[in-house]
Amino acid sequence: MTGSFLSRNPSVPVMLGAILALVFAVTVFSEAMGGGLSTSFVKTLGMTLCLALAALAMDLVWGYAGILSLGNIAFFGLGGYMIGMWLMAARTRDVVTANLAAQPIPPTPSEIDAAVAGQIFGVVGSDSFPLVWAFSGSLAAQLALVVLVPAALAAVFGWLAFRARVTGVYLSILTQAMTLALALWLFQNDSGLRGNNGLSGLQNIPGAEGVPQAEVALWFLWGSAAALALGYLLSAWLVSGKFGAVLRGIRDNESRVRFLGYPVEGYKLAIFTLSAAITGVAGALYYPQAGIVNPAEMMPIASIYLAVWVAIGGRGRLYGAVIGAVAVSLVSSFFTSGRLPDLDLGPVRLVWVDWWLVMLGAGFVAVTLLAPKGLGGLVDLWSRRRGADRHGADLGPDAGALREQEAEA
Amino acid sequence: MTSLLEVSGVSVSFDGFRAINNLSFRIGPAELRAVIGPNGAGKTTFMDIVTGKTRADSGTVRWGEKGLSLTGLSEARIAREGVGRKFQKPTVFEDQSVETNLLMALKNRRGPFAALIWRPKPAEMERMRELAGTIGLSAHLARKAGELSHGQKQWLEIGMLLAQEPKLLLVDEPAAGMTPAEREKTTEILVEAAKTRAVVVVEHDMEFVRRLNCRVTVLHEGSVLAEGSLDHVTSNKDVIDVYLGR
Ligand SMILES: Nc1ncnc2c1ncn2[C@@H]1O[C@H](COP(=O)(O)OP(=O)(O)OP(=O)(O)O)[C@@H](O)[C@H]1O
Ligand SMILES: [Mg+2]
Repeated sequence: MTGSFLSRNPSVPVMLGAILALVFAVTVFSEAMGGGLSTSFVKTLGMTLCLALAALAMDLVWGYAGILSLGNIAFFGLGGYMIGMWLMAARTRDVVTANLAAQPIPPTPSEIDAAVAGQIFGVVGSDSFPLVWAFSGSLAAQLALVVLVPAALAAVFGWLAFRARVTGVYLSILTQAMTLALALWLFQNDSGLRGNNGLSGLQNIPGAEGVPQAEVALWFLWGSAAALALGYLLSAWLVSGKFGAVLRGIRDNESRVRFLGYPVEGYKLAIFTLSAAITGVAGALYYPQAGIVNPAEMMPIASIYLAVWVAIGGRGRLYGAVIGAVAVSLVSSFFTSGRLPDLDLGPVRLVWVDWWLVMLGAGFVAVTLLAPKGLGGLVDLWSRRRGADRHGADLGPDAGALREQEAEA
Repeated sequence: MTSLLEVSGVSVSFDGFRAINNLSFRIGPAELRAVIGPNGAGKTTFMDIVTGKTRADSGTVRWGEKGLSLTGLSEARIAREGVGRKFQKPTVFEDQSVETNLLMALKNRRGPFAALIWRPKPAEMERMRELAGTIGLSAHLARKAGELSHGQKQWLEIGMLLAQEPKLLLVDEPAAGMTPAEREKTTEILVEAAKTRAVVVVEHDMEFVRRLNCRVTVLHEGSVLAEGSLDHVTSNKDVIDVYLGR
């Protein structure tokens, strides 16, 4: 809590250096620069950086404040939807305008509007813009909503839940219910967000029609890397000062923090809302690279993924979240890419795409039981730090408290 | 004499069991008081009520000159009003350094925003070191609190309590698990603290209470059985019957 920023956060220069090195190497060897890295691989890397940012935000609430939020994936999806609305509206308008311009009589603005709406909402049997698209014409407004919508949802939900002192498993279930409710609502055609079709064609950036996707992929890689770097700096600043000390206090022993006079609800609300905003940004950078966002992205399995990344990377250390997300999602995309030949083992056929989830589950269980510090714990091995022997006692009485084996030395 | 804390006619039941029964208690602004009583007498529950952890079913808890009612306020609010508490089982932030534990407790603004922009001022560091000296942990500032011995954790918690600069200290069994030398030191700290503020100490150990050399309140089945000097209460027939069992 005292000392310079760097002495409190020795991982910051390493992390920023690693991000920079990655971006530099990928850029140099990318297809756009005449290298051998395929555009789809560059996109995978860019998306992976976004997932790392989302995991970082997850670590802030779970690793530091002890709130196992299963709602963060909803914030991620909402970020994608918010930017997707602008991308889709603007892009469709460009296409429609170009098409109509060929007609002998120039179209009126309302004709263009109707044609754009018909294009976008035809699949759900509608031909006008729903209310939620009110700001879709403005990039600035939708960018603001990328942060504001997840933050507002988190603020309202958090205020209700934290004030009622819902904690532990119940809080997790509640956040999962929120995510599921949102997904189910989005699945409906009259939600105004194209039901299960979701928003698509997001990889086409309006105003950049002439730019090849190879180059667009690089832009997003840079953007995602910058967001992750800034997110890391912000998170490091948040958790290494007194604010972070209070958060960790809340995680391990909430009532002690109260008896010191700290308004616990305010701290939880602050970090939950901030985490939602960061996650929204991560989603807004992810989905244009994925090309499509739909409600299936927010199903319960996805919430679990976020938690698994953080757990595998090591909870309560920022670099752990990043390492976990990057490692798991890269390995995941390797196994699910279909590039690995299936194994014929006589009676069973090992289809990697299907078996990968089983392996991931087994890996999660193994980490939880055998190496609770996760991949981040390897850093402790290397720096030869050893935790104190606590004879199996947790670091505090609360459900979210770090276990003995999780604690950083 | 005006009183700092005035508890009157408070009762609390847990599932029909009356843990506190029409309890009344008052303490002045600079006074040391020992509270004794057999296991289950309601000593900890009494502290729970004053600090807002448990809500009283009936009765009032008045605080300070203005007679602010503490019943219904949140734990954090009551703490900010100047009530500090040490738990029966030492509770410190085990994952954090001794220094951080003390700095977190230091009296200053408690909101999230204030904490975000907080940087240790030289005076605060000075105060933290001074407190660490008082509780004998100067050499352990950088260690994680979880590594300390049981007695050291007790002291750290007392140090955090002092750092809060409360007007009233509620101390639940501070000497549990301490060596005789550590107990003596603890006595000194508490007696010293009581010169400028009110201190309520719950303790089972009669030797410890004797050394505090203060007024004693005996609790039994949730209400006050006797009050006065230690010699006075230990010669009280009711007290001998229920508590000393002799
Ligand atoms: N939350 C609770 N729910 C049910 N019963 C409780 C609760 N808290 C306290 N009690 C009961 O109230 C009675 C008083 O408990 P309390 O902890 O205040 O005693 P104590 O005087 O501090 O005892 P000790 O000396 O053992 O610490 C006990 O019988 C206890 O079982
Ligand atoms: Mg007790």
